[in-house]
Amino acid sequence: MKLTEKLWFWKILLAVILILSAAMIWGSVSRIDYEWRWYRVPQYFLYQSDDPVKIPFDGRVESIKTSGGDAKVTLISETGEQVEMVVDAKSIPIVENEDLFAGDTIGYEVEWRMGPLLTGLWTTLWISAAASVLGLIIGMVAGLMKISKNYTVSTLAAIYVEIIRGTPLLVQIFIAYFFFGTVFNLNRNVAGIGALSLFAGAYVAEIIRAGIQSIPKGQMEAARSLGMSMPQAMMDIVLPQAFKRILPPLSGQFISLIKDSSLVSVIAITDLTKSGREIITSTFATFEIWLVVAAMYLIVTSVLSQFVFYLERRLAISD
Amino acid sequence: MIRAENVVKVFSGRGVTVRAVDGVSTTVDKGEVVVIIGPSGSGKSTFIRCVNALEKFNEGHVYIDGVDIADKKTNINKIRAEVGMVFQQFNLFPHKTVLENLTLAQMRVRKRNKKTALEKARMLLAKVGIAEKENEYPSRLSGGQQQRVAIARALAMDPKVMLFDEPTSALDPEMVGEVLDVMKQLAREGMTMMVVTHEMGFAREVADRVLFMDEGKMVEEGTPEHFFIEPREDRTKLFLKQVL
Repeated sequence: MKLTEKLWFWKILLAVILILSAAMIWGSVSRIDYEWRWYRVPQYFLYQSDDPVKIPFDGRVESIKTSGGDAKVTLISETGEQVEMVVDAKSIPIVENEDLFAGDTIGYEVEWRMGPLLTGLWTTLWISAAASVLGLIIGMVAGLMKISKNYTVSTLAAIYVEIIRGTPLLVQIFIAYFFFGTVFNLNRNVAGIGALSLFAGAYVAEIIRAGIQSIPKGQMEAARSLGMSMPQAMMDIVLPQAFKRILPPLSGQFISLIKDSSLVSVIAITDLTKSGREIITSTFATFEIWLVVAAMYLIVTSVLSQFVFYLERRLAISD
Repeated sequence: MIRAENVVKVFSGRGVTVRAVDGVSTTVDKGEVVVIIGPSGSGKSTFIRCVNALEKFNEGHVYIDGVDIADKKTNINKIRAEVGMVFQQFNLFPHKTVLENLTLAQMRVRKRNKKTALEKARMLLAKVGIAEKENEYPSRLSGGQQQRVAIARALAMDPKVMLFDEPTSALDPEMVGEVLDVMKQLAREGMTMMVVTHEMGFAREVADRVLFMDEGKMVEEGTPEHFFIEPREDRTKLFLKQVL
């Protein structure tokens, strides 16, 4: 009972601190001359496109039949050819029996499209997903190489990890695109995903190495003493146990990767960050867009960490 | 069944080399129970680990059923399937249930189907007296129960020989008995066994032969009667005086 009372106190304190900080930021912002234009933001998530529909020949409007939101326009050319086209019923610039020239607009096709913020988010997600999968594979191989007893194999892996961990990701992306991209004729997506997965792979390798080495030697020995081969023992005994231990650091790495993927915007991949910059150049809604972009990254990463939290609890059954 | 000839195992590191096992030779015949005793650091554990090549020895030979296990052409996994091993720290697979601990290697190595493997596993769990724990994870079992599961796991492979590496050393005293009982029962059933232990009572009661190791060397070997009543070597006498 006492404990819960105390917790309430701390909860209220937390709320007060958060509200105060928000108020301070709000106060500072209102002293500068910035015009907030939040109403401009939604269109960059979803917007209604209206592509003009054009008559393909010189001819005449035979009929316009409206049903629901659509209108079916029947056109007849000078040579008697008949064509039916469907356009949005609300904004039809023509009337029945009107004579038209080829290329005149007879109406608009209206549909909902993803705005740059959503397409950018999509790009960020699939680039991160691809780089995570590749990074996991690279990291798994490099991690196993690092614990190998063979000098050449383990040193190769160590050199790879050292190089990647000792240089900035931004520089790696530039090298991947401007150097390897030019030499091997890679497009920017390949270069970007390649740089990200090599980067993630080095960190994953260290996580996996540490995870495998944290499993007592007796586990491998017990499996081998039963006649299991080295790969069997790895797959059935060591890796499943190591996986449970490396899940938290590994998921942290992949969440970092989503955030780090914003750096590929420097090689003109239109991810969420680059989309944000592009929107700002046309709207000057700098504050709104960056806040929205940050919120979008935050939503993705928190969904992911909640999922990992759930997974960890499920895997904890045998503890 | 087991023939070890002049086995040498050297550990080296940081400029120090230790001859942990220094030229040990012995044989274990079919159905025989051989107990190895000796002070800590005498190399007895290292030696028993050489017998199924968990420890790669530097010199000498170990033959299991006439097959040289150090020979490059020997399929060591096939040999190990015939040689069960029980460890001091149990080494059960913590992410698998008791049943899965017993069935995994049967299916992977012996290529048994799940049904056969399960039957075998349940039969052995009943034999070691923990049939009711088959769906528990090892962390829920006491040390003695874990070690009995570990024995059942090794037996599930239908080994020709069982190696025990200090099977009771990590147990609380009140659990030693239940594990030793299982081992005694095995011995009565005619299992060929090699046991490294500090349990002198077990050695006296069950062993056909006792080996005494000290500083990597085989100092003395003989029947329990000879060994405990009239040992030849001074080092053996000293050791027995300390432990009995």
